Amino acid sequence: MEGKVVFTVFRHDPSAGERPRFVRYEVPYRSGMTVLDGLLYIKERIDHTLAIRYSCRMGICGSCGMKVNGLPRLACFTQVSELGRSIKVEPLPNHPLVRDLVTDFTAFFSKHRAVKPWLIRKDAEEQENPTRQYLQSDQELERYIQFSYCISCGLCYSACPVVTALPEFPGPQALAWLYRFYADSRDQGGRERLRLVDDATGIWRCHFAGSCSQVCPKGVDPALAIQLLRRAVLRG
Amino acid sequence: MLFPSRYSLERWSYTLQRITGVVVTLYFVLHVIETGNFVGGPSVWYVPPYDYARAYYEEIREFLHNPVFDVGLVIIGWMVAFHAVNGLRLTLAHFGITLGRPSRVEPEAPPRSFSPFQRAIFWISIALAVFAVVYSLNALMGVLAA
Repeated sequence: MEGKVVFTVFRHDPSAGERPRFVRYEVPYRSGMTVLDGLLYIKERIDHTLAIRYSCRMGICGSCGMKVNGLPRLACFTQVSELGRSIKVEPLPNHPLVRDLVTDFTAFFSKHRAVKPWLIRKDAEEQENPTRQYLQSDQELERYIQFSYCISCGLCYSACPVVTALPEFPGPQALAWLYRFYADSRDQGGRERLRLVDDATGIWRCHFAGSCSQVCPKGVDPALAIQLLRRAVLRG
Repeated sequence: MLFPSRYSLERWSYTLQRITGVVVTLYFVLHVIETGNFVGGPSVWYVPPYDYARAYYEEIREFLHNPVFDVGLVIIGWMVAFHAVNGLRLTLAHFGITLGRPSRVEPEAPPRSFSPFQRAIFWISIALAVFAVVYSLNALMGVLAA
């Protein structure tokens, strides 16, 4: 694949009162080029006003999530060669827009904090002055290790049709984190954790559309975590 | 967001389940109203010789006896069968029965929640819905006898 790639990029600055629009940019293709590389080329050489958010450029920080050719993806993790010569880039749905491709994660992270994403322990004294390690078997580790790979990039949240319809829904990311700690043998949160989401806007709102698991770049499978949370509630 | 062209089978299932749920609910409301009209209301049960009921029955039957309503019933048959069996799949998933177990992430492996078992139930729901269409077409239009 050689020649030029056409990027059609969403542009909008709500604070400037302008109308949302799509702008076409032609970017020379090079082997191994990612969508983020293309956007950075645009920002450096064509249009300095383009707003994007990124950091690590290697699929770890989760900063560069955006909708690429109709699906939420990490721009740094998506090769141009797998998309073809025409690439449409939009901000992540379900997150309020800040500007261009940058979205606001405030609500997303407040939902994340609401599920208490830390180990709950009853032994306060041991926490302050630890005397031993918390050992786990391989089997105990496998119950939650998959869900601990989450980088909080927000792709699952933007793909979830339930979040679109019901903004109060915690979303796949927060619920996967909740299950990650619920299933951890070191955690003593137990039923207290389940009560956080066992209500009308919690786990029962998930309709198992599976889009969260499809778009997750880390293989976390939040849909599985949510079904397992339901099983835990139903089986008492 | 409604048309899930780029998403997985589960998203199609979600969309179909929502649409069929809404349509079947609306149908049930109309069905109750229509049936109420059909019998002419509660008075026909205690006003002999039921001439009013008989006249009303004939009038409504004439109104409903056309291909448009028959096709509508065939579509409703498809929706009811799909919604019921796919709903069973979702109920099983609630209990984690048809899903894979959590494990270490394998590169390029499909999500464990997209298990072949629960996907098979989705296709069974489609197949049974097609069977419901054939049955309805035969019952209403005698397509198999023709």
